[in-house]
Amino acid sequence: MSASEAIVLTDVSKSFRKSTIRKEHTTLKSELVRWLKRQKRPEAPSAVIPALRNVSLSVPRGKTFGLVGRNGSGKSTLLKLVTGIYAPTSGTVEVHGRISALLELGAGFHPDFSGRENIFVNGIILGMSRREIRARLEEIIEFSELGDFIDEPVRTYSSGMYARLAFAVATHVDPEILLIDEILSVGDEHFGRKSTAKMEEFRNAGKTILLVTHDLNTLQRRCDQAAWLDAGVLRALGNPVDVVAAYRAAVAEAEVVAMEQHVARAPVAVQPRSGPPAEPGRRWGSFEAELSGVEIHGPNGAQHVFSSDAPFRLLARYHRYGPVEAPQLELSIRTDGGTLVWSTSEKLPEAEAASLALELPRLGLGDGNYLVDLSLGNAAGAVYDVHRGLHGFAVRAQDSGGLLAPVHRWSIEPTAG
Amino acid sequence: MIRNLRELWQYRALLWNLTQRELKARYRGSALGFLWTFVNPLLLMAVYGLVFGIIQKSNIPHYTYFIFVGLLPWLWFASSVGSGASTISDRRDLLTKVRFPAQVLPTTVVGTNLINYLLSLPLMVGLGGLVGIWPDVHALAFPLVLLVQLVFTLGVTFVVSALNVRFRDLQHIVANVLTLWFFVTPVLYIPNAVPEAVRRLYLIANPMAVIITSYQGIFYEHRWPHWRGLTIVAFGSVVLLALAAQVFESRREEFAELI
Repeated sequence: MSASEAIVLTDVSKSFRKSTIRKEHTTLKSELVRWLKRQKRPEAPSAVIPALRNVSLSVPRGKTFGLVGRNGSGKSTLLKLVTGIYAPTSGTVEVHGRISALLELGAGFHPDFSGRENIFVNGIILGMSRREIRARLEEIIEFSELGDFIDEPVRTYSSGMYARLAFAVATHVDPEILLIDEILSVGDEHFGRKSTAKMEEFRNAGKTILLVTHDLNTLQRRCDQAAWLDAGVLRALGNPVDVVAAYRAAVAEAEVVAMEQHVARAPVAVQPRSGPPAEPGRRWGSFEAELSGVEIHGPNGAQHVFSSDAPFRLLARYHRYGPVEAPQLELSIRTDGGTLVWSTSEKLPEAEAASLALELPRLGLGDGNYLVDLSLGNAAGAVYDVHRGLHGFAVRAQDSGGLLAPVHRWSIEPTAG
Repeated sequence: MIRNLRELWQYRALLWNLTQRELKARYRGSALGFLWTFVNPLLLMAVYGLVFGIIQKSNIPHYTYFIFVGLLPWLWFASSVGSGASTISDRRDLLTKVRFPAQVLPTTVVGTNLINYLLSLPLMVGLGGLVGIWPDVHALAFPLVLLVQLVFTLGVTFVVSALNVRFRDLQHIVANVLTLWFFVTPVLYIPNAVPEAVRRLYLIANPMAVIITSYQGIFYEHRWPHWRGLTIVAFGSVVLLALAAQVFESRREEFAELI
């Protein structure tokens, strides 16, 4: 038994059979028919879906370990492997110590029974003995703040009360290793604080905690170590601040891609030279002149995620296919919520083709997702090519709020009196 | 199997709690509450008494009592297997969220029905008293027969509940098989009614027939059970339970994934 590690995962992979996921249960009848016809069981070659791939990590005893990742990245699968609900397809999972998993609140609650009665069954399911439960019963009831409701059937509880009772039981199990799956956020603010305090108490008591959360602040403040899972692969492991930074950057990147994809799927409406656009599309115009190859660059080439201080460049190519009159380009930046942040326009040369670049030495925008709209036309009202919401970028700034991040400097000098 | 049983022992508190809850939940909210445990067999008794004591008289003496001696343990078996079939596949909420031995679930069902059976025994004895048949020294064999039936019922319920995870139509098949099984088991008639030529095979092939006739021997005819038959059934039941435990052992993770 290793003294310093509480949980050790070595090269763990887990795959699910597709039929398991799609819940295609074989029926006895179909098996029988197949047997009678002497057919072989059809083997689908690619019928496995990997949930975790070669994950190795270890959680030191007495530390709090945070796990982040998007939905479906394998976090819960990992917790279930540690709990022993699932067995790994390959690799080994070692757990040293009594484990309690809070994967779901209120496991085994029966609606017709009172809160008090349910404490017993739920507690036993979570691994407490009857004696332990009896000893902590009053404490649990007090923590749940249910008062006289504790003797009413659970079906009469509000969802908040239900969650409070369940959480109260769950946190009074006295394990050496605690697995928590995003449930600290139950109840109102007051109860939330109590829950956080309870977790802090666990930490101070030297318990090992493995926590899955989407709250990155909690992760940074409360965890000693963190790991980031993406599509079943361990992408980052180590110091929570670094892991969160890597995760944030990737999420922002993905958001921009999703934003643009969403836009690209929308129909492209091409309008004749005269007449207003029949319907608002994402790209329209007469296309007598065209903007193409629009790219957003940072200091080192194409980039989607910026810090407020980063330089920003927008590149595009211009081409006209016939005579156009005094073409000009309008550019505006708006938030993904639609608020206009900035707009500007620029005259274009009479040349047949040109390459354009807009440069901001310092982006100066606050945290958020932004879209760039481009409109090629002229002052007389011609519309050649409009890109609406086709190009996006994100700004990640943790130390400020709002749309604007101007260059600023504080001067604070102590004065007498 | 040893590990299996040891796990059950470790989780005996859960087993006991779930059983208790099952018993309480059954009649929770009903006016008579726990009394239903007694009212149910009483009403059943009244129905059988009416049909076979008054309407269609049987030539078996004290026929209503005779039926009861065999029917109550049969109900224990049939309800266990019938509702045990879906016991694992229905508890998705528990199995995919908490680690605990899955065999607790079918065991709970068998245990609950066992307690119901035991609670209805005083009624059966009372009915026997009414017609002048009190239990005598042969009742000493009762715990033994009870144990054999417990092992057999556990074995069958384990197998059925485990298979039902993969083959979901099994629970419907089981319901029908149980009806058929009821009629090939001497609950409503005496084994002597079975043609001589097939009687032996009939008793050997049907463990429940051996068990039920043992109860009838003890409480109705005042004779010892057919020891050899009972020993074979006991032995077979232990083997069945061991195999079923093996299935649970090898399918443990599959349960969580399949349901």
